[in-house]
Formats: sequence, structure tokens, C-alpha cells
Amino acid sequence: MSMVNNLRKTIKELLAEKKIDLFIVWEKGSLPLSATPLFITSEDEADRAVFDITCGNNLSVYFTKDRKQFSDKKVGIAVKGCDARSVVLNILEKQIDRRNVVITGVPCHGVLDKKKVLDKTDGREVLEMIDDGDTVTLKGKGYELSFDRSEILSSSCLACIYPDAQECDIFIGDARAEIPNENRLKEIKEFEALSSSERWANTRAEYEKCIRCYACRNVCPSCYCNVCFVDQNDPGWIGNTCEFTDSMIFHIIRNLHVAGRCVECGACERACPMDINLLQLNRKVAMEVKDRFGDIAGLDINGKPAMADFREDEKQDFIMG
Amino acid sequence: MSEWQPRILAILCNWCSYAGADLAGVSRMQYPPNIRVVRVPCSGRVDPLFIMKSLQSGFDGVLVSGCHPGDCHYISGNYIARRKFAVLKPLLEFIGIEPNRIQFSWISAGEGERFATVVTKITEDIRKLGPSTRLVKKL
Amino acid sequence: MKMVRLDKQKFNDFIRELSVEYSVYAPGKVSGKTGFIPVESGDEIDFTSTVTDMSAKSIFFPHSEVLFEYDEDGIRAAQTSHRPIAVWGMRSCDARSLVMLDRVFGSAVQMPEDEKFQDPYWKEKYNTSLIFGCACNEPLSTCFCNWFGGGPYNNDGMDVSVVDAGDVYLMEPVSEKGTDIIGKLSCYKDAAEEDKALAAKLASDADSMMIAPPDTDGLGERLTALFDEAVWEEISAKCVNCGACTFSCPTCHCFDMQDEGKGSRGKRVRIWDSCMFPIFTMEASGHNPRALSSARVRQRVMHKYSYYPENYGETLCTGCGRCVMVCPVNLDIREVLKRINVYNEQEK
Repeated sequence: MSMVNNLRKTIKELLAEKKIDLFIVWEKGSLPLSATPLFITSEDEADRAVFDITCGNNLSVYFTKDRKQFSDKKVGIAVKGCDARSVVLNILEKQIDRRNVVITGVPCHGVLDKKKVLDKTDGREVLEMIDDGDTVTLKGKGYELSFDRSEILSSSCLACIYPDAQECDIFIGDARAEIPNENRLKEIKEFEALSSSERWANTRAEYEKCIRCYACRNVCPSCYCNVCFVDQNDPGWIGNTCEFTDSMIFHIIRNLHVAGRCVECGACERACPMDINLLQLNRKVAMEVKDRFGDIAGLDINGKPAMADFREDEKQDFIMG
Repeated sequence: MSEWQPRILAILCNWCSYAGADLAGVSRMQYPPNIRVVRVPCSGRVDPLFIMKSLQSGFDGVLVSGCHPGDCHYISGNYIARRKFAVLKPLLEFIGIEPNRIQFSWISAGEGERFATVVTKITEDIRKLGPSTRLVKKL
Repeated sequence: MKMVRLDKQKFNDFIRELSVEYSVYAPGKVSGKTGFIPVESGDEIDFTSTVTDMSAKSIFFPHSEVLFEYDEDGIRAAQTSHRPIAVWGMRSCDARSLVMLDRVFGSAVQMPEDEKFQDPYWKEKYNTSLIFGCACNEPLSTCFCNWFGGGPYNNDGMDVSVVDAGDVYLMEPVSEKGTDIIGKLSCYKDAAEEDKALAAKLASDADSMMIAPPDTDGLGERLTALFDEAVWEEISAKCVNCGACTFSCPTCHCFDMQDEGKGSRGKRVRIWDSCMFPIFTMEASGHNPRALSSARVRQRVMHKYSYYPENYGETLCTGCGRCVMVCPVNLDIREVLKRINVYNEQEK
């Protein structure tokens, strides 16, 4: 509890000392499994700030949304480890001025994936959730369930190696550096071991679900093109129907556009109303980027996004002859 | 009906690979007639979307070719391209697209023979794979 | 009207009998998500959720619908199935939504008869359809159908109302079509007095589970008065403008047209569009009258609670709560409306 109190105290101090005009943080949402973004401009609102297992949104998205609505303001922002990397990336890409942002790290122990929760309850509505740090208890009409917290964590969190902000001005508590995570690429390796046609069948089944609502794109802090390629209609690149190849190409190209820029926060996957395992492709791409170019997105504030960079002596095993 | 022939899109950079194709032509080198050439200013111009779009519209394979590393007319276009392809190719393999459908090569203006060899190789690779089906949009 | 009872053990017979004349749709699971799917037997039906993930509108107004195709031989209207559609298990929020959509696609009520626009694709499916409702015994905390004249036992838009009463379904025809089908099918018995009493009790229990609605009288006028207010920036601040709300909504019906062609063959497809997308109002000149998120969020709220009511006398929201559930940033429409209420009072 003291962590949240410290966070609130920090926000109040930053506002009182006029170091910021605005603080972006989470508050309790209208549903037991959801937090919701909160934009604090006065000290008395600071007590609404929370940080817990429901705070899955990557708030860095608000820097690039609506053509930089906060560009003329000094902004404080609460960040998990992944969100901090998004902020760094936005700074590297000149979307935010480093001097105008107060990065405030919060200690993250993972955020939940609503879909995993609903699997636990067999689709029954959750009316209350209690998280004691190890065990999560869900309550609804006629049931109460308790289980290990890791069972409902987002897939991004299960593969996380930087839970806390590596670049920040303030950290609430003690920030952890890189943590070992031997399961990080487990699912990717398992998938790679399947045959080509099995992989294709799997991918097809997943991406056929897409309804083209673009929730994945819109919650992503790295997706901020003025006009997204799917919205270009003169000429139109791909169709907007639910036809599978159109949807698949949208996702492939989106993945390539965020190659070396995706921080694997998992916001896309949690936002997907059709439960597509979107992060799988992102993680595969991140793995290639790390293996080939040695880059991890948003980690080095003095670096350069991987796909905007090159080395002359790079591995080119995929080039013919 | 005649036997199925692979249809391959070759996206060639203006300064090296396209000139390489020219040289192969004027030198009267033989290579399979299965490619359709699109000339681009630089391999760095090649958006992965071009490649996806080609597969979607029914090409059985795509060849992208540019200047050798170090030879780019625009200094570094092919290095940027190389990074794009380095990620695109494993990603497509990962989702289950046959690896040989999409290939990349470096061919200089003087390498007419190499051009003929590369086209022969990709045509044979794709002939082995058969017609592309996986990302083809059916109208 | 006459109430009948259907033993759940005979449910498969019922669906089979219905399938003779109709293509039957019912709540079912596709890749883990619930929606309305074509079924051939009762075993395919998944009734675990009160509100299906995707709404029933897609049966009559699919995400992507081919309107016509062309080739060297000419233009042809899209191939359609001529079997009428029967839907089993539609909740009151979805059934009401079809009535709302029918005003747009079927017959605009204000128009003189000869000027009425009738969308042939909608009409062909909807006018011949048969809707079996399913009253909600366990409304969810996100349900707010009682805000706008609906309720868990509301019958609007249904041909036959159905109550799940444990081992039996109690069915009562609501429309003429409903009376006809009840007269035609054979697998049930007349309901007893106890059944009627049970149905009435379940209905009042369900009603009592609903949270009392805020005052929404005059909402449309309040919204109109607030059109230029800064409240929209505040409300829309967290919206990321995805289309999850619009696509899961049973009443959102804006669409786009896309021509898909190759060589001499092609087709025109009608696809769902969303007022949340920047391209929705993009003009050919490049000017976008709703360039900002605040204008787009305002449009969605105004359309549902001001413009549509002005045209048709009823809100374009059935309170199903899907948008509340799917919103990735938890922008809760109920909170928005409450805020509108309060903001107005502050101004006064």
C-alpha cells in the first residue's frame, strides 16, 4: 500500500513544485478487472492514482495519440518497465522532448490478462478481485476462486526481463535491473519446432478471428503514423474486409513496422477483443532483432532504433549464393 | 491445359541488379522466362508491403535484388534494406510461408551471369514448391 | 397469448424441426469467442454467457457483405441464401437492436411510403426472419438495458419470447409470425398456471437485479446544448480511437464500401466502419472535419443519444454493455452519460 501512497505523494510534490503541468497515471476502473488512464492536473486528484495488477495500459500511447496533444506541456508519467522503454523510444524518435517528461517508475509484478481470468471462471462475471501479491482471489455470483497470481498474468509479463524502468527520473521504491527469465522464448521455440504447415494452420486460425477494429494498433505507443498504411486508400494497399489474407498482411506489416521498436508490453494482445495471440509475432521479431543486431527496443536512450541503423559487416545468411 | 509455370516477381534496383539483368540480356545468356521485372531506384525502396502484396495477388515467388554491400548508389540504401529483409524472411517462415518463396540477392551491373544463375535457381526452387496458395487472396 | 413449455430434453428435436424451414442461428463459440453462429443441433449452442462477445447484428448485417459481383458477362447481385433465418437465444438487448437497425435499413419511419428506402440485403434477411428471444435471469453488472426503456425480460423485436425455467423453456409468441410457428411445431406442451407464475417471478427477480438508472430524460437536448463544450476533450482524453466499441455494438451500423477487383472480375463489398477512425470523415480534399479524437467520441455519443432519438424517438443504445467490456482503456459509456448529466447541471 505504501507504494501507492508514495506514488501519490510524488505526484503531489511534482505538481506543487510546478515541475509538471500534468501527470499521466492509472486509476481504479469501472470494472473489477480494469484500471483506466487518469490525467492529473491538480494535487487533490492525486489520491485517485493507483498501481496494481489491473494497470495494463501502456500510458506512453498518450504522447503520440491525437498528434501529440501534450507536446507543449511538462508531463509526468507513471511507467512499468515496458512502458518506460516506450517512453525512451518515443524520445529517441523525437516524439517527446526528454526535458519535458518526468519518467516515474513503479515496481511492476505483472499485469493481468482478462482473458485468462475469464478462462478461470468459465466465462462467469467477476465482481471482485483481491490480489495479495502471491494469490489472486476472484469472487462472483455463487463462486469464489483462489489461485497463484502467475496463472492470470499477461503473456508479456511471463516473458518479461525488465519489469522496472531502466531509464527514469524517479522510482517509487528500488528498481530491479534485468531479471533472468528462462521461459522468455519458450513458446516461440515450441512454435518453431512445429512443421511449416502446422505453423501455417495455427497462424491462420488465429488471424482469421481478426475483425479489423485496430485496437491493437491504437493502444500501441509505437504505432503513430500520421496515416496508417491500412487507412491509405488512394491507392489502397490492402482491403478492409475480414478476408484472411488482408488481415494477415495487416498484422505482418504492423509487426515489421514495430520491428526493433516493440517493447513487448502486450497492450495489443490485452486490447484485442477477439483474443488473438498477437504478441507471438512481435516476440519472434524482437528475438530476430536481438540475435542479428544486438538491439533491445527502448533500452538505450542514446541508441538508435534498430531498423534505422546498420552495420556493414552484418550477418547476411539469407542472401542467395 | 499447359503445364503450370511459376510466376515470379523480380524487384531490381536500378543501378546494379537491373543493369545486371540488362547485361545478361545483351550477352544472350539463357535463363527461365518466369520472372516479371519491376525496377526500383534502390533496394532500400522496397517496402515489405510490396512483397506481401505480390504474394497476395498470386505471384508464386518474389526476388528482391540490389547492389552488393558497399556499392549502393545512395551509400547505405541496401544496408537498410538488408535489415528489413533479415527480419521479414524469418517472420514469414515463422508463420508458415515456405522459405524459398521469397529470396534476396546482390547482383552488380557486371554480373550478368550471376543474374542468370540466380533467376534459374529461384525458378527451380519455386517450381519445386508448386503454386503459391497460402497468402493468395481469392476474389 | 398462449404460453407453451419445451422440455430441454426435447431441445434437439425442436432445433431439428425448426431447421426444416429455417437456417438456425444461436449463440455459439468460435475460437473461444461467443457470437451467433449457424447451428444444426442444440449441442452446438453455448449459453454460458449472458451477453455474447459479438452481437447478433452480424447475422443480418455482416462485417463484410458482398453486394454484387462483375465479370466479362456482366453484373450480378450477390448470391444469397433464400432460406429464412431463425435465431434462437437472442437477449432482449440484441433483439431490440434489430428494431433500431430496421428503422435505418428497413423503413425510415418519417418517410412517406413511396420514398421509403429499403435496403434489399437487410430486408431480405430480416423481414423473413424469426427471432426467439431469451430472457435474462442473471443480468451482468455491465448491463444497463433498463436505462433506455429495455429490461432483462423486454420482448421488443422478438417473435417468440423464451424464459429459461430450469428444466424447461417457457415460450410465448409475441408477434403473428411467432404465433404461427408455435402453432406449427409439435415438440412442446401447453404451459400450466405454475409455469406462468414461475415466469413472472423470474422476471421480477431479474428486474430487481438491475441497478437503478440515472435520470436520462432530456439527454438528447442536453447533448445538443453541450456540442461545443470542453467536456468532450475531457471525456475523450483517454480514448485511443480503436473500433472495438463500434464493432461489438449491436446498434452501430455505419459502413464503408470497398471495390475489390482484379482484371475483369471484381465485387463491391459493404464493410463495417467506425466513427472512431480518422479516415471515417476524411474528405477527398484532405480536410477532415473530425480530425481530433474529441470530435469523434462526441459523434459516437451524439449519434446514439441525440441524433438517432431525434429522428426515430428512441436512443440508439440497448444497454448491452459490450462496449464497456471490450474498451481497452475502460472508457465506460455509463460514466460518460453520468458526466454529461452533471456537467450540464454545473453549467446551469
